[in-house]
Amino acid sequence: MTVFNWRRAIAPLVLSVLLLVTGCTAKEPSPYAQAQQESTQKGAQPAVAKDATQGSSFNKFFPKPGDGYERVYTQEKKGFAEAKLKKDGKDVAMLAISDAVADVTAGMSATKKFEKSVTKIAGYPAVDVGTTQTAVLVADRYQVKVLSRNPAFTKAERQAWIQRFDLAGLSKLKK
Amino acid sequence: MSKSIFELVDELPTGGITVMALRSLDFVVPGQWQNLTGFNNTIREVTGETDEALIQQIGERAVYLFNDKSQGYQRALWLYQTVDSASGALGAAAMANKVGQDISFLGFLGNLTPKPEKAQSIDLTVKLVVELVAFCQINGIPGDSIGDFLAALGDYGGESLMRMAALVCFDGLIPLGPDFILKGLSTIQGMSPKDLEQNQTFKGVSDLIPGGDSAGKLGFINQSFDSVKGWMSDFVSSRNLTQDNVLDNLTKFVEVSKDKLDYVGAFLDISVNYYTHTGVQTLARRLIERAVAEI
Repeated sequence: MTVFNWRRAIAPLVLSVLLLVTGCTAKEPSPYAQAQQESTQKGAQPAVAKDATQGSSFNKFFPKPGDGYERVYTQEKKGFAEAKLKKDGKDVAMLAISDAVADVTAGMSATKKFEKSVTKIAGYPAVDVGTTQTAVLVADRYQVKVLSRNPAFTKAERQAWIQRFDLAGLSKLKK
Repeated sequence: MSKSIFELVDELPTGGITVMALRSLDFVVPGQWQNLTGFNNTIREVTGETDEALIQQIGERAVYLFNDKSQGYQRALWLYQTVDSASGALGAAAMANKVGQDISFLGFLGNLTPKPEKAQSIDLTVKLVVELVAFCQINGIPGDSIGDFLAALGDYGGESLMRMAALVCFDGLIPLGPDFILKGLSTIQGMSPKDLEQNQTFKGVSDLIPGGDSAGKLGFINQSFDSVKGWMSDFVSSRNLTQDNVLDNLTKFVEVSKDKLDYVGAFLDISVNYYTHTGVQTLARRLIERAVAEI
């Protein structure tokens, strides 16, 4: 007579429960799965268009440091330049110029949001993004953005700092 | 297929030897490194934005930027990962070399593997150069002057500063002692391009080191190390770093024994991937800073 081996019987049971549980709790697809797929597939549109303006040509239009503010350039890439604004050694804001026409994400250009703009700064269409960003579009192409990195750096200050860029100079930048 | 940027950031460990070893360096750069992990979490932390739809939009832009190969981010990641794994191999070789010295019948191993001190010195200089090259791949060369560029480098904080602290402590002070800067300098100055070619760490990353042939690359490494030696010695003296206090703090977090000092460096080489860990954090931060400014 064979003795009922409960261990042997229980093993497949445990295994199938385990598989069921782990199968059901399998990772949900990431919210970025689609962006990942679109940006890596064959013939994907690059994040920055080939003919984007070089970031180096944006540097000279940035606001000059002074009045206790320090300006540290942090990034200079194709289609993009950024500097950090510091006061008393602390980061207070980021200043950026980008070639918005060349910046395409999921088939949408960064210039699109300015179509809904109802305000102007220095004569250029302006928008607020989120709670920390204010931007203008210059010459229908270049986005100038100021981003608060400290709550004390208010929207009014962002608007003021946008006007300290050489916007007129930027509008004449050869495309 | 290689991993996506959001997977890399989401999968950053919150514990383990690398994280513990880095935590032990908090006394060197107090409060600078919080081990920020998780892609969305990093977006919130870097931008200060909280709206989910906006976070998604910033994240998507960062994904697109990372996947645009012409933008250099993937090369930077490769550099961070490769310098870690190549130096790990060096750690293994150094360990074998140590055994070679202790056990006579394995003495011949000494002819096959570089002397630990020389290998460590090369490792230190190559890692430093990798930092410089990866910085340029991620950030370009910011500003219009050398002064602007140096200011950008001098603005290191957070995980980048922690990486430099780890370089100074784990690849400088611990394996080479208080005069690690001099040892590094004299090693590269007395080295031939052939010596360099035989170094594992260099071999791993040599493709992306400027300078053309090995002699040119050696020159570049020499210059780079020379130009940051002042910063490094300031770093050590202003923070009163010694081999002893670094080790004392390390032993609070990671099980190593101080009396086997020779092995500690080799052990860190094999078990700690601080370049990859903090490198992914730096890369994510810079991508997100750019993405939020571009959208």
